[in-house]
Amino acid sequence: MRERFIIHFNVADFAAAVERVVTPRLRERPLVIASEGTPRAVVYDMSEDAYRNGVRKKMPLRQALGRCPGAAVLSPNPNRYKRAMEAFLEHALPYSPRIEVTDTRGHLFLDVTGTGRLFGPPPDVAWRIRKQVRAAMGLDPIWSVAPNKLTAKVATRMVKPAGEYIIGAGEEDAFLAPLPLHLLPGIEPGDLKRFSDFNLTVVQEASPLSKDHLAVLFGPRGTAIHDALRGIDPSPVHPFTQAPPAAAADHVFGEDTNTRAFLETALFQLMEQVGRDLRKQGLAAGRIRVTLGYSDGIQATRHAPVSPASANELHLFPAAAALFERLWTRRVRVRRLAVTCDQLTYPPPVQQDLFTFGPNMPKEVSRDRLIPVMDAVRNRFGKEALRFGRMLAA
Amino acid sequence: MSGCLLFVGTSGYSYTEWAAAGFYPQGTPSARMLSLYAKRFSVTELNYTWYQMPRADAVERQRSRVHPGFLFAVKLTRTLTHEIDPKNWKNDAASYRDGIAPLLQAGQLAAVLIQLPPSFARTPGNRKYLAALTAELEGLPLAVEFRHRSWADPNVFGELEKRRICLVSVDAPDLPELFPPLDVITSADLFYIRFHGRNARGWRSGKMHLQFDYSYSDDELKDWIEKRVAPMTEKARRGILFFNNHVRAQAPENAERLIRLLKEHGLSPNVA
Repeated sequence: MRERFIIHFNVADFAAAVERVVTPRLRERPLVIASEGTPRAVVYDMSEDAYRNGVRKKMPLRQALGRCPGAAVLSPNPNRYKRAMEAFLEHALPYSPRIEVTDTRGHLFLDVTGTGRLFGPPPDVAWRIRKQVRAAMGLDPIWSVAPNKLTAKVATRMVKPAGEYIIGAGEEDAFLAPLPLHLLPGIEPGDLKRFSDFNLTVVQEASPLSKDHLAVLFGPRGTAIHDALRGIDPSPVHPFTQAPPAAAADHVFGEDTNTRAFLETALFQLMEQVGRDLRKQGLAAGRIRVTLGYSDGIQATRHAPVSPASANELHLFPAAAALFERLWTRRVRVRRLAVTCDQLTYPPPVQQDLFTFGPNMPKEVSRDRLIPVMDAVRNRFGKEALRFGRMLAA
Repeated sequence: MSGCLLFVGTSGYSYTEWAAAGFYPQGTPSARMLSLYAKRFSVTELNYTWYQMPRADAVERQRSRVHPGFLFAVKLTRTLTHEIDPKNWKNDAASYRDGIAPLLQAGQLAAVLIQLPPSFARTPGNRKYLAALTAELEGLPLAVEFRHRSWADPNVFGELEKRRICLVSVDAPDLPELFPPLDVITSADLFYIRFHGRNARGWRSGKMHLQFDYSYSDDELKDWIEKRVAPMTEKARRGILFFNNHVRAQAPENAERLIRLLKEHGLSPNVA
């Protein structure tokens, strides 16, 4: 594969940084961004000095102010951050057609592979964009240059709150080796607990584990973790103009709820919707992502691979339900559920069995056959003509 | 014949476009470039250290890719030359020393290049800062490149001489504000020449790919050898010469041509 040059920009504490540019006197004391006046308000973002005083994202505001009594508190202003992100993007636009905007929190990826003759070496491009953003917007983005998105992202985390990091091709594993595992994107709190059960806390302790070892510990995610530990990440920089293909659906509850039956029914309904959408496109999903929005504004997201890729809600639902169980950890009521299926592929070929008719037909085979029949009936008589029993129960 | 050891190389070696231009084989990964470069040249200038503070582990890895006789000139980090933080620069100077320590210990550090920006004029504040900076970096083989003409003054040369700091000679477009090309020797240990190319329009554009897009003719190089390089070899023990016109791999081509012309002139540069 051709060597790549990926630049990652990360404006530390983006919301707080933007607010301080808009209102310079906020620089005089620590700044906490949180929805004041709402019960159970939690910290949305904070400035570096508030962080040093022990304030953390998602921490209850009351606790944050206990740790940092002198802090100024400001309500989040998402539109302002979105506009700042658009202005930031404009400074990067001239340098590459491949720019990925991962969120509205000050993160940008640029793929500058092959642009050397036009714009000079990648570190110079990164430095120039940072200089322009600093001069025009008053923000000081951290930058890194690395052979892939994963190492570029870790690198900017390493130098927070300011600085830069250049990682050459072939240096990925040496760069990651001494780092704590929690710095690796894709390693989740549950994974860290698993690693720590085996007394593994830094990358170089875990990286000798083979794919087979990791599969025992993490199941199908073992391969992804194996690659992450070695700094392998072939994922492309998705141009911001072109969203990666995905099928998505979401549901906002009329009244926030924490009744399991309602939540599970809503989740199944979403999976039905996504499954239908995928089948219409003739595609199957390789990954599923579930997002849970609580009534206090906190959001939680998790994703998991689907193997083999599928467009059948009866296969997708168990994966979504497992993710939901891992996400639903708080007593706060749920306002919103969302499901996204991505990494879309053409459905994998299935080896047909000659002897699968009759009462001995395996369950997964009958599931595969059931859905196309249901689709045919619904196409003719309407969506409500056939429903699963679980949808009637709620 | 003088006893001066001459080393010729390029400013930086890791340019993917050099593969397209034929200097490296097509598809050479950047991790392999230095060892290939070291088969043709005996010195290089590390430029990435201007963008990023050098780290000892990364520098040691680079050092291990070349033979023990290969030399490095290392550019000083921008937070000490272009974006000086008055509160923190001394810590940065200490970090820089730590970062390049593997080269110093191995005897492969030819020079620390203090390249100052065009805006760095000879004002009392800047004079004071430069004196403090060079004192902080004492013990390292320092070379100063000025870009502002106001430093072209015998008093400045005298101060550099007292501190045994090398004044970098430059070949650049003939623009009124730029430091002129000189052959002044301020340290008997070293002379240091940088060929930036003579693309005046490109220089004014501020864009690297235009600024350093130039190829020297044989006559221009011969002129340098006769008028400046040859006399300088009589006054210093070591000379390092770099081509910074890296666009389309003109730098390594010009460097190899200079080596040939130096030999023809009776000077014998160290080659890999």
